[in-house]
Amino acid sequence: MILTELKKGEKATILNLSGTTELVQQRLLDLGITEGEEVCYKCALPFGGPCMLEVCGQCIGLRRREAKEIQVVRT
Amino acid sequence: MEVALLGNPNTGKTSLFNELTGSYEYVGNWTGVTVDKKVGTLKKQIGQLIDLPGVYALNPISKDEGIASQYLLENRCTSTLNIVDASGLSRNLHLTIQLLEFGKPLVIGLNMVDVAKSRGIAIDVHQLSEELNVPVLPIIARTGKGCRDILDYFSLENQHVSHFSIDYGEKIEKAIENISDLLHEEQLNHRWLALQLLQGNQIVLDHIKTNKGIDLERIQRIIQELDKQIEEVEKCSLARAIYSKRKQIINDILEKVITKEKNSDRTFTDIIDSIVTNKFLGIPIFLSIMYFIFHMTFNWIGTPVSDWLDGFFSGSLSEWIGQGLQAVHATPFIRALILNGLIAGVGGVIVFVPQMIVLFFFISLIEDSGYMARVALVMDRIMQVAGLNGKSFIPLVIGFGCNIPGIMASRSIEQPKERLITVLITPLMSCSARLAVYSLFAGAFFAEYQALVVLSLYVLGVILALVMAKVFSFFLKHEHSVFIVELPPYRVPNAKTLFRSTWDKSKGFVKKATTFILGGTVVIWLLSYAGPHGLNVNIDQSFLALVCGYIAPLVAPLGFGTWQAGTALVSGFLAKEAVVSTMSIVYHAPHSGTLTGVISQAFTPLQAYTFMVFSLLYIPCLSTVPAIYKEVGTRKLTWFTVMYCVALAYIVSLVIYQVGRLMGF
Repeated sequence: MILTELKKGEKATILNLSGTTELVQQRLLDLGITEGEEVCYKCALPFGGPCMLEVCGQCIGLRRREAKEIQVVRT
Repeated sequence: MEVALLGNPNTGKTSLFNELTGSYEYVGNWTGVTVDKKVGTLKKQIGQLIDLPGVYALNPISKDEGIASQYLLENRCTSTLNIVDASGLSRNLHLTIQLLEFGKPLVIGLNMVDVAKSRGIAIDVHQLSEELNVPVLPIIARTGKGCRDILDYFSLENQHVSHFSIDYGEKIEKAIENISDLLHEEQLNHRWLALQLLQGNQIVLDHIKTNKGIDLERIQRIIQELDKQIEEVEKCSLARAIYSKRKQIINDILEKVITKEKNSDRTFTDIIDSIVTNKFLGIPIFLSIMYFIFHMTFNWIGTPVSDWLDGFFSGSLSEWIGQGLQAVHATPFIRALILNGLIAGVGGVIVFVPQMIVLFFFISLIEDSGYMARVALVMDRIMQVAGLNGKSFIPLVIGFGCNIPGIMASRSIEQPKERLITVLITPLMSCSARLAVYSLFAGAFFAEYQALVVLSLYVLGVILALVMAKVFSFFLKHEHSVFIVELPPYRVPNAKTLFRSTWDKSKGFVKKATTFILGGTVVIWLLSYAGPHGLNVNIDQSFLALVCGYIAPLVAPLGFGTWQAGTALVSGFLAKEAVVSTMSIVYHAPHSGTLTGVISQAFTPLQAYTFMVFSLLYIPCLSTVPAIYKEVGTRKLTWFTVMYCVALAYIVSLVIYQVGRLMGF
């Protein structure tokens, strides 16, 4: 499944990041976000706005379009 | 001795810098506060400390990050100080490893141990120091706790170079060795250079290119070959393989160093975030906060104090100084210069200081609390429509204080196209100097609705900026837009930081008023005092009136075709608040009361509003132009920025005035 299919507050493990663009991937790596890490989908802003995630004890904001490229599995 | 201060973004580098050097630099709670390197002298005079923009790794994405790598390549520092966020060790240590590979003496300042503890993370500092083979000093940079230990450490004669080294596996190690052999001409650590090259660090590659003695082709061949091998065996890129190896080592270290207690439930940050980034409430909350700030600035605190100050300047103070000058038998020329020129002009600007202090206080509060990053998140969808991303909104908010730091803040935006557009539109943000113009006019014409009228100008500036951004984006090469923002935990703003940050911003304004504006005021006053027929002429016969009379017809279609308005706009290019000081002089008549009174006779409300809109947009001030040049890099684009502002101001003002007139205002 993909990250944005999670419900608000649900947790999942990241399976694959390679669908996102290289720049996004590098930034995610910088923030310590890689395959195998647990992610919590916290909320999304209206009209296709960005979503808020919690990974490795930190909160980040990411465009929904990028988030849709991240594959996860529910934990 | 020169110590480089490095660390991940928003880990408190600048707070530590301020503590260690006793200086005061700009701090805030979001990623990208420091965008340039800053030099300070360490206390006890033991050497220099260089504050660098925050980086996650030495391989930069955005422009500010490049500054840190560039600095290391200059090979000037003798020691490195790495500040590490204890609550995010696993990610912070990636940079630490790269700094250890850099091969200079390193000391770790372990910051925010208190935050980590509150999240149930306990760190064995001694063990960490042992694992990395470097000194680790726990600190709380915001309060200055532990900073003495760092100073004491740098006072030592011999600083220790770590033996820590990672074995990247046979293939990579072999390539490192081969590349190192080709780098014998280089002064910098060969292993570090080789690893950075393998990771694809563009800045390091550019640096190597400048050294003619190095066989670049052979190096690139080695990298390509290795890349192919890694791709085949490990099914990932070379850079990724190096990253994974480091991550594995970090995990091994953390296993021994960290003990996690039970995670606490919902934190303070979670609760606030569920409200301010709420689906429906996010944007309304942001707008309400802005409105509240303006209301505080104009209706509740700022204006009453300003009015009192205005009365004091034009009343008691002028009287006392007048009597004093009379007592020392000053010539009429000197008396006129001081009373009608200096006090009217500079005083006219100084009276707005209370309003600015209130506004700056709230901007500092937003910066220090952590709300700034949330603003970027909430605004991203709207910014996307304009072809930008949420991060572009941060320079715009900072631009409300002053356009120059706003323009510089754009460096933390990843994409060159979005960064350029942000620089181009930031001058449309209503800076605090323009506030002086609004306060004068809104106070004279729209006393009851001051906050609302002024807010309308701010909103107009933002809307026009977004429209222009959209227009510009059509002319620039399409780039994939990116938006990732770190949302730091909220923190209760530190009173000391808040006070200093407010003062620091206000100080610039007062300084400008007493130097720049003062000088300009004297010149303007002299021109209004002298005319073709001698000194002390009727002001309508002065040089000023004659020269600026030529400008008047140009702006006549906008509703303010007087030479007085023309003069004010010309001097406003020097600094926007000079519009006010100039008006104080050109409208100054003995016993005419306050400037507000004279202005309300000279303009109609519609003309006043149009004049405010024109002042908002018409040109970036003289000090902003070099800042724009520095960021856009070409004269042509700098000229373009200045000229489009003039054109936009003219068109928008024309429409407002003519439509307003048709509607019968």
